[in-house]
Amino acid sequence: MVDLNKKEYRKREFLYLVPLWLLSLIVPDAEDLYSYQRKEFKKRDFFYLVVLLLLPLAWHDPHFHHLMVLAGIYAILAMGLSLFLGYAGQISLGHAAFFGIGAYTTAILTTRYGLPTFLAFWVSAGVAASAAYLIGRPILKLKGYFLALATLGFGEIFLVIVRESQSITGGVIGIFNIPYLSLAGFSFDSYLKQYYLTWGVLLGLLLFSKNLVRSKVGRALLAISASEDAAASVGINVAKVKTGIFVISAIFAGFAGSLFACIMATANPEAFSLGLSILIVMMVILGGMGNLYGPIFGSILLTYLMDILGRYQEWSLPIYGVILILLLIFFPDGIGTRLGIRLIYLISYWSKKRRRDEGKL
Amino acid sequence: MALLVVEKISKQYDGVQALDQVSLKVERETIKGLIGPNGAGKSTLFHLISGMERPDSGKILFKGKEITSLESHEISALGIGRTFQTTQIWGNMTVVENIMAGMHLRLKGGLISSGLWLPWIRREEKEALKEAKEILEQLGLLGRWKSPALQLSLGKQKLLELGRSLAMKPDLILLDEPAAGLTSNEEKQLSERLYQFRKDGITLFIVEHHMGMIMEIADEVVVLDHGKLIAEGPPDRVQKDPQVIEAYLKGKRVHA
Repeated sequence: MVDLNKKEYRKREFLYLVPLWLLSLIVPDAEDLYSYQRKEFKKRDFFYLVVLLLLPLAWHDPHFHHLMVLAGIYAILAMGLSLFLGYAGQISLGHAAFFGIGAYTTAILTTRYGLPTFLAFWVSAGVAASAAYLIGRPILKLKGYFLALATLGFGEIFLVIVRESQSITGGVIGIFNIPYLSLAGFSFDSYLKQYYLTWGVLLGLLLFSKNLVRSKVGRALLAISASEDAAASVGINVAKVKTGIFVISAIFAGFAGSLFACIMATANPEAFSLGLSILIVMMVILGGMGNLYGPIFGSILLTYLMDILGRYQEWSLPIYGVILILLLIFFPDGIGTRLGIRLIYLISYWSKKRRRDEGKL
Repeated sequence: MALLVVEKISKQYDGVQALDQVSLKVERETIKGLIGPNGAGKSTLFHLISGMERPDSGKILFKGKEITSLESHEISALGIGRTFQTTQIWGNMTVVENIMAGMHLRLKGGLISSGLWLPWIRREEKEALKEAKEILEQLGLLGRWKSPALQLSLGKQKLLELGRSLAMKPDLILLDEPAAGLTSNEEKQLSERLYQFRKDGITLFIVEHHMGMIMEIADEVVVLDHGKLIAEGPPDRVQKDPQVIEAYLKGKRVHA
């Protein structure tokens, strides 16, 4: 009788453990925050990579590909912001402006001056970086609400400039017929190619950020976010580190903007409004702060949510708002973080239970 | 020349004279104590030395170089470490990362080289980790090196904060009430460690509210009262100074 029970139990436990193990591969690790010796390339990363590579081939739907391209672009933006918001603990509500600067640089250089798109891609990041440096020097002295307001103001100023200088940016109408990104004769002209392009760029930037976060720079960022006085007391130049990471996140936004312009083939001011800035912040917060996979997860989630809600037309915005509020209530520290913690509890609970049943505990 | 020289420094807050023409010297490889009743201006003096605030008049010299108008991080870079009255460890990092962040200035990596994880960055990080663990071992915190810094007890957080300032290899450490909130056992361990640091060639400048620990370990003590320096000298002599006794009695706080 006892043996039978045990056997039955084993079987059930096995059934639980398989999905748990699968989930543990997908869900970002909550302990990443604290574990110092992060392995450079974990099983989980490999799993993500394979899924990313095979997903568009297995699910051959252009709409899905297009959505994933958009999500990838937003994810690049969100990841850059996550370095600034999640790690350094500074708020920016003007990130759409850097995105816009990247997009317009590419648009103007390729349509007016016939610069190769591949070159324009790099120049865009450079222009966004210089803008961030010039803006960041004065306004990064501000903290909290004041920094939020200043960056918000910067975003609005950018929009006004774009709308008013019609001779360069095409005003409210914008710029059309931006060529697809191409390199050595290979043009990224289909959704599938763009998918690999976007997620390839994202992957490169993810590796860069992962290295950044575990290095001296990452520690300085976390130190500033926890206590600026203490950071200065060990000689960390707070203003310099903040400006540096602001520039890095603007470079990410510049890359994203350039990709956006090449893929959408247009650039108009509507796409870079305050709404986008807030959307990116939402992606970072929902995905989980202080975690690099969180923002990627958040941007996929929100891109899909917006797409699905688009069908309900005038109802879409209220439903969107309610869902966001519910998510923030039930997952205040981000979906990724919360799920990760849940999972660790569950796994430790199951392993304890097993050991107890075996009479070891 | 003394390591740290403070010359006729004054500071006013909204009409309250926090410091009034205070001058003092800290000699190399000594432990200097700074005591005084509540509101005597001890913490203000530390804030001025570490550059968190600016004095109204007077100047501060460190290793013969004037540091009065330098930024806080520049002063730290010259070799002045400090701890805070209310412990300010970085709770969002592990214990060992706290120490490694303290080494910030001694590591050479920049934004780009760190992001690309160049081979020399990898080497540097490895060495930094090894050294951080050595510092933790010295402080008796090695067993907890991977745990989040917030999970440490207050006594251990204070040690960690001390370790963090040690990690930048300073010449002078300013300790703001290191023994506040510690049990008597922890206090004893702390004073032994501080003694050891002095032997290793680090100069310590300690603010204490209570007289107990400081009288045992300090080579010299200065006493502040209402922003004025009222006594300076070896602990046993200062303790008998009638002015000091009066200052402490006035506030009805005798801890000697």
